[in-house]
Amino acid sequence: MEKWECTACGYIYDPEKGDPENGINPGTSFEDLPENWVCPQCGVGKEFFQKMA
Amino acid sequence: MRVIIIGNGLGGAIAAKTLREIDPEVEIDIFAEEKYHYYPRPNLIEFVAGDLPMEKIFAYSEEWYDQQKIEIHLNQPIKKLIPDSQEIEIDGRKREKYDALLLAAGSFPFVPPFKGAEKQGVFTLRTLEDALDILEYQKNHNKVAVIGGGLLGLEIARALNLRGASIEVVEFYEQLLPRQLDIQGSSLLKTEIEKMGLKIHLGLATEEILGQDEMKGLKFKGGEKLEADMAIVAAGIKPEIKLGKEAGLETDRGLIVNDFLQSSDPKIFAAGDILQHRGKIYGIIPATFAQARLAASNILGDKKKYEGTVPWNTLKVAGLFLTSIGLINPEDENQEEIREEKREEGIYKKIILQAGVIIGALWVGTKNGVDHISRAISEKKNIEKWKDSILKDDFDFSLL
Repeated sequence: MEKWECTACGYIYDPEKGDPENGINPGTSFEDLPENWVCPQCGVGKEFFQKMA
Repeated sequence: MRVIIIGNGLGGAIAAKTLREIDPEVEIDIFAEEKYHYYPRPNLIEFVAGDLPMEKIFAYSEEWYDQQKIEIHLNQPIKKLIPDSQEIEIDGRKREKYDALLLAAGSFPFVPPFKGAEKQGVFTLRTLEDALDILEYQKNHNKVAVIGGGLLGLEIARALNLRGASIEVVEFYEQLLPRQLDIQGSSLLKTEIEKMGLKIHLGLATEEILGQDEMKGLKFKGGEKLEADMAIVAAGIKPEIKLGKEAGLETDRGLIVNDFLQSSDPKIFAAGDILQHRGKIYGIIPATFAQARLAASNILGDKKKYEGTVPWNTLKVAGLFLTSIGLINPEDENQEEIREEKREEGIYKKIILQAGVIIGALWVGTKNGVDHISRAISEKKNIEKWKDSILKDDFDFSLL
């Protein structure tokens, strides 16, 4: 599964780790994150993430 | 080596972070005009809307800067650059020496030259300070005119609507989002926004802000008037080139940089809204992010070329998703467009091709396939063989 990077702060979403503090289980792909999920580092929405090369 | 960064928005913050990632030793100093730590500007909209408390808008904690050994000097506007001696002058007093300088001072809101723009109740939104001023004034002034139907204008409109204000958006062009949409997409978007209770006026040129000390309305070319007790001007941005220009750096509309993001002085680099690269001024997050990363790398001697960024915007208004990538209106006869509209479902998709290669797309009302399309555009993929099927509901995007 691909990692995604927040273009507002550089946070990297790694699907293998998920975002357990915000209720996202390890193994959750970026596409499967809920629409209202925000960057745990800086607070911007999913639309500011880009897939890492 | 000491790198000085002017500006603590996205460009400055990401450049500082990247410099530290590459080099644990380099000295990094950020000078910021604002008194607040870095916050992503999209968070201002959520803050104005009441969806994000002020303490949550910031990206990095104070401890983070300490850990990263990044010296940050807030509320310290720079008065002058002295390229000959590689110095900057702070507030007319102190001078600081650099080995490399990064100009990341961003841009400021463009206010068209209409009469009465200095009246009380006329605002722009760029900084946290602006957002606080707007919220304070809106408490007692609830009839808001938003001048500009671009991305920022519509987002402010949505945010203040959530605060209970009555909103009228006034756009100069005959469509919303003139840079990201076409007429057909705009018409769909307008319908959705109006369902939320916002009013939209297209093709109106504001000529004057009416009222005595406090603004009371707008007057348009042709004589039409609109009553309002508050106005937000969202008519685009202008690069903050004053410092660079006064120091003799080459400027046009923006600060001119080469592919290595260097200004006409090789020790001075730039990233973000301030710069003009191959004739273009971007003013969008993905471009600034890429530039900040590359500028940091180039400053440290690892030469990397910036090849430009495919304009890429997403907007969520009234629960309607909208994505606009690359070129969205054909510019000559070698380019063709294919489209699909399902008006009753609020879905509109369009692709621009040049000799079979996908160079732009517009996705309204759906996000399905948008990541694949976006990647195909950045890879300049030839999609000729899927021309007839790609906009159908059952198209398998993994083929791309």
